[in-house]
Amino acid sequence: MKFDLVIAGVGGQGNIVASQAIAQCAMDAGYNVVNTETKGAAQRGGSVLSHVRFADGPIFSPIVPQGQADILLGFEPLEALRYISILSKSGKYIINTAPVPTILANMKVDVYPSHEEMLAAVAAQGLEGYRIDATQAAKDLGNVLLTNVIMLGAFTAITGVLPADAVLQKLLSMVNAKFHAADKEAFNRGREMIKAKL
Amino acid sequence: MQKKFMLGNEAIAQAAVESGVKVVAGYPGTPATEIVEHCASYPGVYTEWATNEKHAFEVTGGASLTNQRAMAVMKHNGTNAAADYLMHINFTGVKAGLVLISADDPGGLSSQCEEDTRILIHNYAHLPVFDPSSVQEAYEMTKAAFELSEKTELVFALRPVMRVNHAGGMVEYTDIIPEARQAEFIINRKRFVMSAVVEKESGGELRPKMRHRWLNNKQTELKAVMEESPFNWTEQAAGEVGFIGCGIGYAFLKEAEQIYGKKLPILKLSTLPLPEGKVLDFAKGRKKIVIFEEIEPVVERLIKQLYFDNKIAVEVLGRDTYLPKEGELTSNVALTALESTLAGKPYPTPQQGKYIPARTRTQCPGCSHRGLLIAMKEVVRKNGGIVTGDIGCHDAGTFEPMNLQATIYCMGSSIPMAYGIKAAGFDKPVYALIGDSTFFHNGLTGLASAIYNRANITVVIAYNSTTAMTGFQPHPGSPNNLKETISPIEPGTVAAAMGAKVFRCNPYNVEETVKVISKATAEPGVKVVIAEALCYLKFGRDGKISYTPRQVKIDTDICNGCGICVRTFGCPAITIVDNKAVIEASACNGCGVCVSVCKRGAMK
Repeated sequence: MKFDLVIAGVGGQGNIVASQAIAQCAMDAGYNVVNTETKGAAQRGGSVLSHVRFADGPIFSPIVPQGQADILLGFEPLEALRYISILSKSGKYIINTAPVPTILANMKVDVYPSHEEMLAAVAAQGLEGYRIDATQAAKDLGNVLLTNVIMLGAFTAITGVLPADAVLQKLLSMVNAKFHAADKEAFNRGREMIKAKL
Repeated sequence: MQKKFMLGNEAIAQAAVESGVKVVAGYPGTPATEIVEHCASYPGVYTEWATNEKHAFEVTGGASLTNQRAMAVMKHNGTNAAADYLMHINFTGVKAGLVLISADDPGGLSSQCEEDTRILIHNYAHLPVFDPSSVQEAYEMTKAAFELSEKTELVFALRPVMRVNHAGGMVEYTDIIPEARQAEFIINRKRFVMSAVVEKESGGELRPKMRHRWLNNKQTELKAVMEESPFNWTEQAAGEVGFIGCGIGYAFLKEAEQIYGKKLPILKLSTLPLPEGKVLDFAKGRKKIVIFEEIEPVVERLIKQLYFDNKIAVEVLGRDTYLPKEGELTSNVALTALESTLAGKPYPTPQQGKYIPARTRTQCPGCSHRGLLIAMKEVVRKNGGIVTGDIGCHDAGTFEPMNLQATIYCMGSSIPMAYGIKAAGFDKPVYALIGDSTFFHNGLTGLASAIYNRANITVVIAYNSTTAMTGFQPHPGSPNNLKETISPIEPGTVAAAMGAKVFRCNPYNVEETVKVISKATAEPGVKVVIAEALCYLKFGRDGKISYTPRQVKIDTDICNGCGICVRTFGCPAITIVDNKAVIEASACNGCGVCVSVCKRGAMK
């Protein structure tokens, strides 16, 4: 058994917390776990890619090789596009459709690609997955910071590699109890958003 | 044995503590920083941030001579700064185990350059180097390095790369901390005084030559150690093409082997000097050998030389001859190389990928540097001056949209470069922009040099009281060190004592900052402007900020959507929507600097 996950997002979106919840859950399940984060040329508000690999045998590289990831969680569509080639042809993606504009795009030095362009670029790779507006759903629940929790819930709806409840309990163990009710709601909302598309 | 999930840096610190390390010193630098911070959590370990890596290394050298195990921690640029001490301690040797951690950053992911410090430590200083391939191995190598350093009386180096320092993995460890040792300094001038002294007992030879010979003779002992080392091994399989994986290169090679789906003959090498017997054996029956190593062809060239000396005719391919010469190795590079060599083809020319809009680094919303950068930009826009830059968060002032500093090199280079530009005859004002931590690292001597040589420059010190770029480590200008509260060394006081004319401003006040810098510019000689404001991100958490927070509003009747606030200023909280500036309330930290950017007065 070998499972590779990558989470692509923007610094501050809770990418690392989500990857840690999954990594620790995999450890509890008795797997060998390796993880790392790769950051672009940006530390603050920049591009962040988390790698989580677990297996019942040895794992050599902390980085998921190109074309090997079982699942790619894209917390932001441009970041998902940036790293989509890591996803295996038989893998699945879940992409949050809410864009976070880049500074250079704001300045009109770059053009932030349209939703259609990004859709086409992913489709051109022959990859399959789900698109959900996790940011809007988090806002609807009252806090945009719940986006990562919604994505984490969505993750558990497309794979049974780790039990959904174990992932949720692990997440709750990592955050202050006063956020537990909102986190549970967001986690389940993420699962429902995927189930509605299955 | 216990088992725990650890980051590479935590595993290195854990191993050092289990080895009885007493003194740990370093200077912050990605990817090595957290090693020192983890060590600091053990009460029995003296831990410090030195002002620079050379001093950190010297502190640990002193400790080793006092019979206490010690560890110096730095990133590759820091090892450059420490090279002078390296080229002396290699000749004297050490007493208690001394380990140098020199973390490399292949691809320059978080650095000003990419370089391979194995060359400096092994090829140049002739000292042994371990190159870990995993977090577990980094732990084991650190422990072995302390033992072997003490046994061989040589500094042992660990050269982890970013993918080991910042990777997490399951680590088996003992968690047994040995008893403290007695401190003891035995004077031995013949060994620990490096000077051109005539050695009577050696027939009148000079000491540097004698110690050089001692170091050269040590190489035989080191080679024997590496031949027996558990960190080098051979994985047997049939095939005329053999593969060598060094350090993290082994991890990428094994990953590629798994994807390829067939067992390959592999030699894993993680030590310098090389285990020559193993390397010679591996050539038997091979026509071709491919080597994966970060970053330069160090092992490749040593193996070519070894095979040449032993008259072995095997084609040796590596970063010198086959693989990409620059950048980070990956499992995919290894896989491509593996498939190509087995097919007898050249390594395919890498195709340039399609550009995906980048997320460039910038100052955080609320950062005092943005006020300073925009003020300096205003000054040089008017007088045609040049700004030399230095290392720190403010270096993002060189990117769009600030485009302020004209140069960035190494720590402290801004000040001598600035007056070099004047010495060459540049007739407009020249400014050096340097952070406080960098000023204490290697700016002090440059400032003394400028003053002594009667330069005419303006040095601007961004004094935010922390080493923000690497994650808020304290420095001599901070209110604390790693252990306790201190009275900060104030950079302006230091500069004044040296004889500089010192000016002060709060960079959140852009108008005042422009005025102060302009006034300083008009004075002759070396002027130092202390732009003092606490790092918002670090101190804001404790409610300590150097501005009065205000909610800036856009007067949409005045805003004509010219976009100057976005095009020249670049605060992430500001965008243009429907031809009007918009401040995203959730991103804005209310510093109010943008108010002085809008020339129409639409920001209020």
